[in-house]
Amino acid sequence: MGYRLYARLYARLYARLSARLSARVCVRFSARFVATAGVLLCATPLQPAFAQAVPDLVAPQEDSPLERARPQGVPLEPRLPVIDPGQVEPPSPYLQRESFPVPDRWRIMKTLGLLPYKPLDPYNPNALKGDLPVLHKWLGEDWFLNLSAVSDTLFEARRLPTPVGAQSSLNAGSNGTLGRGAQFTFAETAILGFSLIKGNTTFKPPEYEFRVVPVINVNRTQTKEVRAVNINPAAGPDRNDNFVGLQEMFLDVHLRDVSPRYDFDSVRVGVQPFTADFRGFLFIDQPLGVRLFGTRDNNRIQYNAAWLRRLEKDTNSGLNDIGRRPRDDDVFVVNAYRQDTFVPGFTAQGVVLHNRNREGDRGDFYSNNGFLERPAVFGTGRPHNYNVTYVGLNGDGHFGRWNVSASAYYAAGRDSRGMFSGEPARISAWFGAIEVSRDFDWIRLRASGLWASGDRDPYDGKAGGFDAVLENPQFAGADTSYWIRQSVPLIGGGGTALSMRNGVLASLRSSREHGQSNFINPGLHLLGIGADADITPRVRVIGNLNYLEFDNLSSLAVLRNQKLSSNKIGVDVSVGVQYRPYFSQNIVVNASIAALLPGKGLRELYGNAVDSTQYSALLNMLLTF
Amino acid sequence: MRAFALLAMLLAACGGGGGGDGGSTVASGSSGCTGGCAIASPTALSAADVEVILSRAVQEAQARGAGATIAVADRSGNVLAVFRMTGAAATVTVNGGRGVAGGLEGVSIVPSEYAAISKALTGAYLSTEGNAFSTRTASQIVQENFNPRESGAPGGPLFGVQFSSLSCSDVVSPAGVRQGPKGSPLGLAADPGGLPLYKNGTVVGGIGVVANGIYGLDLDIGDIDANTDELVAVAAARGFDAPGDRRADRISVDGRTLRYVDSEAIRANPAAAQATPPATSGALIGVTGYTAGVVTAGVAYSTPASGIRADTNPAFAGLGAFVLVNAGDVNRYPPMPGTDGLLSAAEVTGLLAESLRIANRARAQIRLPLGNRAQVTISVVDTNAAVLGLVRTPDAPVFGIDVSVQKARTALLFSQPTAGASLNAVPRATYLAPPSVSSIGRYVDATRIFLSDPRSLANGTAYSSRAVGNLARPFFPDGLNGNGPGPLSKPYDFWSPFSTGLQLDLVIDKIVANLGVVPSAPCSPLISAANGIQIFPGGVPIYRGGTLIGAIGVSGDGIDQDDMVAFLGLAIAGVALGTGIAHAPAARRADQITGLAGGQLRYVSCPIAPFVDSTATNVCNGI
Repeated sequence: MGYRLYARLYARLYARLSARLSARVCVRFSARFVATAGVLLCATPLQPAFAQAVPDLVAPQEDSPLERARPQGVPLEPRLPVIDPGQVEPPSPYLQRESFPVPDRWRIMKTLGLLPYKPLDPYNPNALKGDLPVLHKWLGEDWFLNLSAVSDTLFEARRLPTPVGAQSSLNAGSNGTLGRGAQFTFAETAILGFSLIKGNTTFKPPEYEFRVVPVINVNRTQTKEVRAVNINPAAGPDRNDNFVGLQEMFLDVHLRDVSPRYDFDSVRVGVQPFTADFRGFLFIDQPLGVRLFGTRDNNRIQYNAAWLRRLEKDTNSGLNDIGRRPRDDDVFVVNAYRQDTFVPGFTAQGVVLHNRNREGDRGDFYSNNGFLERPAVFGTGRPHNYNVTYVGLNGDGHFGRWNVSASAYYAAGRDSRGMFSGEPARISAWFGAIEVSRDFDWIRLRASGLWASGDRDPYDGKAGGFDAVLENPQFAGADTSYWIRQSVPLIGGGGTALSMRNGVLASLRSSREHGQSNFINPGLHLLGIGADADITPRVRVIGNLNYLEFDNLSSLAVLRNQKLSSNKIGVDVSVGVQYRPYFSQNIVVNASIAALLPGKGLRELYGNAVDSTQYSALLNMLLTF
Repeated sequence: MRAFALLAMLLAACGGGGGGDGGSTVASGSSGCTGGCAIASPTALSAADVEVILSRAVQEAQARGAGATIAVADRSGNVLAVFRMTGAAATVTVNGGRGVAGGLEGVSIVPSEYAAISKALTGAYLSTEGNAFSTRTASQIVQENFNPRESGAPGGPLFGVQFSSLSCSDVVSPAGVRQGPKGSPLGLAADPGGLPLYKNGTVVGGIGVVANGIYGLDLDIGDIDANTDELVAVAAARGFDAPGDRRADRISVDGRTLRYVDSEAIRANPAAAQATPPATSGALIGVTGYTAGVVTAGVAYSTPASGIRADTNPAFAGLGAFVLVNAGDVNRYPPMPGTDGLLSAAEVTGLLAESLRIANRARAQIRLPLGNRAQVTISVVDTNAAVLGLVRTPDAPVFGIDVSVQKARTALLFSQPTAGASLNAVPRATYLAPPSVSSIGRYVDATRIFLSDPRSLANGTAYSSRAVGNLARPFFPDGLNGNGPGPLSKPYDFWSPFSTGLQLDLVIDKIVANLGVVPSAPCSPLISAANGIQIFPGGVPIYRGGTLIGAIGVSGDGIDQDDMVAFLGLAIAGVALGTGIAHAPAARRADQITGLAGGQLRYVSCPIAPFVDSTATNVCNGI
């Protein structure tokens, strides 16, 4: 949604600004040379470029319409038209013109009445969508307003290994540890975006942008056991919650253009979305921060350099909670993308990200549901800090007809206190992922592989399990798959989960919303195949089959005090359907169903309780204005 | 890599873990023992070992400018020596650290040697070839939350274990008998400074040190303490250290690894200690009923002299049964018919045998290496609370002997229709600091109000020790800080591990009365609390045709495992014997009580991944 809006806006502003730039360059030349020569100089080098890039910009100018049509400098003969007495007289240049005054050129089209101008129609010129300048009385010229609204409705049914309440149970006769696992979630999220942009023409980045995105979330979760949704069994098996979060609030200042093609440097300050790589393997969040970004080499190179401080999340909506002190967790990141690396159509990226966490000095942090999140209920449970630096190489694009997306990371750093040994631990962990796909007419076939290193010995002073800062991978089926979508609690292994919600790594964190990174984890191997089939222009069917296993079982074995012999998690089968009734992103309905067919390793952890199908079914409707 | 580790483990004899050879640290050493070393080669502390341990303790205490009282015990609980350094405080003050009054809190008349003995026995009793637990470990697992200060987390898994193996227990051996298990004057200690002692990878005893004048516990396990008692004990235990790969910090309970010691930063060099404590440093002291003021050698665990030896009963052949024996090497608790005529000897045998079979399949929760079977003590009592039979697995922790009987008796007591009347008949308890009394009957009244049933404790509801425990926590539901107490507990402002409520009130008078004299049993005039009641899981009542006929209690290797061994043991024995013994009818169990905040009480909770030989789970459901 955001991308589309930006693209539209940038396109318009760029076109407008091109004309202005040519004028500015002319003035610069004029100052340097004699005034008369200046006109020639500026006209010669600049006009052809814009003529190519923006054809409608060089439309015939009003005062000399015929000049433009003339092929090669041959002067036209002025000819008087034949006067037909029967005709209406032409307008006299000395009479008042018969036209309507318009406040700016943007509204000429509106005056002509050729296009509909309806406030609720985002497809045609719309002052609410940044197509027309607004508020010039108060803000001056060239300010645009862009409003967006998204409604995201989710129904989710799932079955997860769910523990019986430890100290009391919902039902009499609960004599075991594993309870009834069927759960249901409804969530309605309203995302409201307000942008105020100062810019000029279509193809130039805006000069300023101020953007605020409040998000309203209402959610309900139903389970069949107490303590699944709240640590207090008296709170019952169900939970209703709501929250208003602030996902974006930033000021974007265009610092400068660095080339005639509008390569630029900008700085963005405030709460802003950030993704460290293509697929969201490492860090994807809406943190508070300062980000310098821009392009070079005709937008072939894009870079970011940022300091970001993560914000505390609301527990059940996952939205930014600015009412709470930001987390003591800083991300310093530099990355650069280069298009057309190796071959045209392939973008390579390098990233260096340093994550500094000092939440061990902060005291205990409990979620809104009453569960201790930091330090995690895990190992010694002692508070700890860490510094970890990720060095990564990523690529995304295609080699001929082969689409390739790949990621590789090495994480190195130091944990002030290993969660088992209690001694400082050296972090050294690896991650790699690749997806290869190829289109055959209306169907795309995919193969994916992922490898995240696991810790070999929780007590050896080395933390070798890979964990991201905050992942949300668009990979191997993403949220249509069971393993990536669902958070499977490591029952009997403390307050951690095998995998995070919307996460692929088996990182044993306390939670996605609040947890610290954890580098003592079993790691993960994933091998998957999938297909995206455009059955009709409106309907896409997505299927995925992923085989999953742990890299190393030692951390799980210690947590459970259990001898584990198999690392096989199982096979994750999922099918999703995407329906876009109007061929656009404005109304999108997604439905998916996934099941995790347990392997021996999962059975060792949860016994035959996982034999009743562990499923994840989603119905999601996105309405976008 | 893993194959290598396995190979190394197989190749290692029962050799690691120190041997009193003069102070080399083996903190990271490998035990190699998996529960059979003590039987294969019985091992004990020699008198010389005890002397050098005392000497190392004295040397470290001197290096710290502290005056310590030091006790050394063997695994059976025999006190091998108590040494009081010159300048050591004669008494300790019981202090749970939260300013609570009541129970044992604030009591300052306890002689230091009793505290030291309690700590030494705790180190010995909680530890096995598969786990080395210290009094710091105990502290972590007896508090109102587990982990301590983890808000909302239910109480420690061994909540209440501090009042077990008491010297007033009728299960521990009488004073003067060397065959264990022996009683501990204050029960199990949670005050850091008590450690197990190992030789050749097997537990040979424990050491307890009191130097700081406080008998308390560690409320904050997030920090790292430099506790004088503990540091002196660490120095003393050098050469007899618990193997590194068996220590509590290698063992997790619900994902939380346990604490062993916080600091090992000792100041003296244990290797340089003399063979005996310098004469000027203090003196051995006698403690009535425990030690005569001389150094004695320990008895080797698993030998008849230790009071715990392999059983010869063919009914338990192949099950690895161990039993308790008296001075005449006679089984103290052979299976026998109920004194009330309700259970036959064959039924008792069947119950014990089936329970052993379950234990021998169960995944141990607190035992290493991983993959080991649970080791437990199992006991059966009749409706007169008489012990009809008691067996254990070879390396079960010794504390579980007394606790298994406590659990059985607790399930029995609360399931009897006479429970309320029996409790009402118990005289009120007396507190010393400040002097006050606590009525036992008040707990009965509180329970009836709490359960909104005036016939509670008189209506024949079947209580497991887990369900009783649910009602005996300072918060209800358990662990919900800020909530009011369960009816069998003190309110939180008056609660601490030294002031638990009904559990302590039933035995506190006798604990105090036994100080300074030859200890005697029972702990309570209430026969089903003769060794005190227990308020953590592992005991269930036994029925026939809806009639209460006894109870079974299990203790040893994880509370969910305890529950499972008792629960499945009874269920399977009932089917196998075909004589009608069974669990309480489901409709009469305590988990049917309605109207409580948070839902139903828990009757039992069998463990996740219960068996080492199958992936079955929820194996107790539907029974």
